[in-house]
Amino acid sequence: MVMKRREFLKGTAAVGLGSVAAGLMGKTALAAEGTLDIFFNSDTNVVEFWASAVKPAFEAANPGTTLNLVSGGGGASMNALAERAFAALQSGTDPQIDMMEAIGPYHPEGAIEAGLWDDFSTLNLPNMSKVNPAVIDNQWSLPYRGSQVVMMYNSEKVPTPPKTFEELVAWIKANPGQFAYARPDLGDSGACFIERALQEVMGRDESLFTNDNYSDEYAEPMFTKLWALLNDLAPSLYKGGEYTGGNTPSIQLLASGVITMTIAWSDMALVAMNEGVVPETTAVAQLQDLAFIGGYSSVLVPTNAANHEMSLKLADFLISPEVQNKVVSELGGFPSINWSEMSPELQAKFANVATTSIPTFPGPWESHLFDGWYRNVASNLTRG
Amino acid sequence: MSDTLSTAPASAPLVKWRPTGLLFIAAPILLIAVFLFYPALRSIWGTIYVRQPDGSYAFSIASYLYFFSDSYSLTNLGRTFWTTIVTMVLLIAINLPIAIYLRFKGGRLAVFIQVLALFPMFVPGIVIVYALIRYLGPNGLLQTLLEVVGIGGFQSPYLTPWGPVIGMVWDAMPFTLLVLTAGMSGIATSAIEAAQDVGAGRLRILFSIILPQIKNSLLVVTSLNFLGLFGQAFMPFMLGPTSPEMMGPFMLRTFSTVRDPLQAATQATIVFALCSVAGLAYVRSIAKRRAAELVK
Repeated sequence: MVMKRREFLKGTAAVGLGSVAAGLMGKTALAAEGTLDIFFNSDTNVVEFWASAVKPAFEAANPGTTLNLVSGGGGASMNALAERAFAALQSGTDPQIDMMEAIGPYHPEGAIEAGLWDDFSTLNLPNMSKVNPAVIDNQWSLPYRGSQVVMMYNSEKVPTPPKTFEELVAWIKANPGQFAYARPDLGDSGACFIERALQEVMGRDESLFTNDNYSDEYAEPMFTKLWALLNDLAPSLYKGGEYTGGNTPSIQLLASGVITMTIAWSDMALVAMNEGVVPETTAVAQLQDLAFIGGYSSVLVPTNAANHEMSLKLADFLISPEVQNKVVSELGGFPSINWSEMSPELQAKFANVATTSIPTFPGPWESHLFDGWYRNVASNLTRG
Repeated sequence: MSDTLSTAPASAPLVKWRPTGLLFIAAPILLIAVFLFYPALRSIWGTIYVRQPDGSYAFSIASYLYFFSDSYSLTNLGRTFWTTIVTMVLLIAINLPIAIYLRFKGGRLAVFIQVLALFPMFVPGIVIVYALIRYLGPNGLLQTLLEVVGIGGFQSPYLTPWGPVIGMVWDAMPFTLLVLTAGMSGIATSAIEAAQDVGAGRLRILFSIILPQIKNSLLVVTSLNFLGLFGQAFMPFMLGPTSPEMMGPFMLRTFSTVRDPLQAATQATIVFALCSVAGLAYVRSIAKRRAAELVK
């Protein structure tokens, strides 16, 4: 049924596209007219969400427009795409990119200064006033969905999950081999775990980490404390200090019953539980002293996009209550707009979550943190 | 073998230099030069002619000094050598007997074995990796099967140095077997029968007749496998341990996560230099054979 509807919409969109193209014949002969090329850094569950919740509604409301959803293929490929957009800006050509999902505006260097990305603080999108100011990281990124890292565990073996990071550490040590987290560069869930650990050793003071305060001298003493904590933990981890190769492999280990607890993204955990790929006894929990870091995924719009106006319209649609309600109900995510703008049922259902702000961690710190982790924590494993 | 070669046309016209021949290869050479050599040389150049903090450019081998004084990088390089060599040895050890079997035995079973050995060629790597994780991984099918027959204590190779070795053996097996069977087909049955007639045993035939004749194939398969395995990123990434890393994932990570293009290019240049040794061996063996054919 769904497929059919989607096919039908595609068909009508194509017809609309044809008539538009015919009308414009002679003026422009751009093949990409009306097709928005959107590249995703997020996992496939997010692309599927767009395909079912965003694409049909937007295409129906804007006849002649087609959303071409493309999985970007990971951070390095997304960076290469951003470089392509930047190169196109410099040469004045069509970047063939209308929107980029879940990447920061800081790559390539100089792109912000050159005006590659739209500045949402000056665009006055109709729905912009609804966005929760606390979730805006920078003016070029438009946040549209939040997700948070949680503890995902087997509730049969863990009746009462840890409430604080200290309790979590104690649990890991009391249950050697039963906990695993992902390598920080391969699954953000692992990154969030070590970032939460970093906040822990620094007395849970989030203000110590900002987008522009990283320096080797400043970070060194903090990192030294962090490596000590993580190295102390390592022998109690899965296989005496082995780390999974991503978000999905972590959930896989939990599903196969090899480990009892892991760290996962709330949305992926919920999808896995809904689809039954993990045992029914699987549960999720959040730390109560300072929640695990989460993050808002944003979209960037290149100013030189061929369908620039339509891209901005789509950006505005993303932060409309219509899509934001689905972010919660269908994706298991958090809205980027104020809860007061959300549907009353969802407001009631998520009353407890709504009050929780999601701590974030500054991107510029991560490259140093991750490389340091590889050199100081991951390399200390001795195999028996 | 020499019979077929001696029927080739006389050698003189073949070696005569003709400019029209060069025209035929001009287009591909140009493409290679523009799309491969030029960017590669640029990035190699970029590792020794480096932008200084003050904005000027100067010659510097600091990134190389860093690599060779950084124990973490060297451990990764060592792990790459270990994985490559172990995989190559296993590939020859597994495929040589199959190639010999296929050369001397015919029939349905031989065809079946050949198809089975070539099968991995038709399965994409990502599928294999996830299948291997499910099969070899902890609490996977293999462990379950072993426990059914009463064998406990299975240690999964998943996320250990043996993980990528197993994945890469599977991946490179069809190619290795194809080259070895091609080499085997050049061995004349008469030579082996002659050896048998004068009383040579099986091992004697293997070492005195078969191995010398497929020396070239072994060299080709070793050098090409070395090139393919040394730079592998995907299998070690998915199946291997977090650390030490193989050079493939290490380069990727240095480039995209550490965001240090200079160091990544330096690592790539070092890998390139090491691989060109294998490449050289391959080119030399080809050139030697060509020269031998032309002389005959």
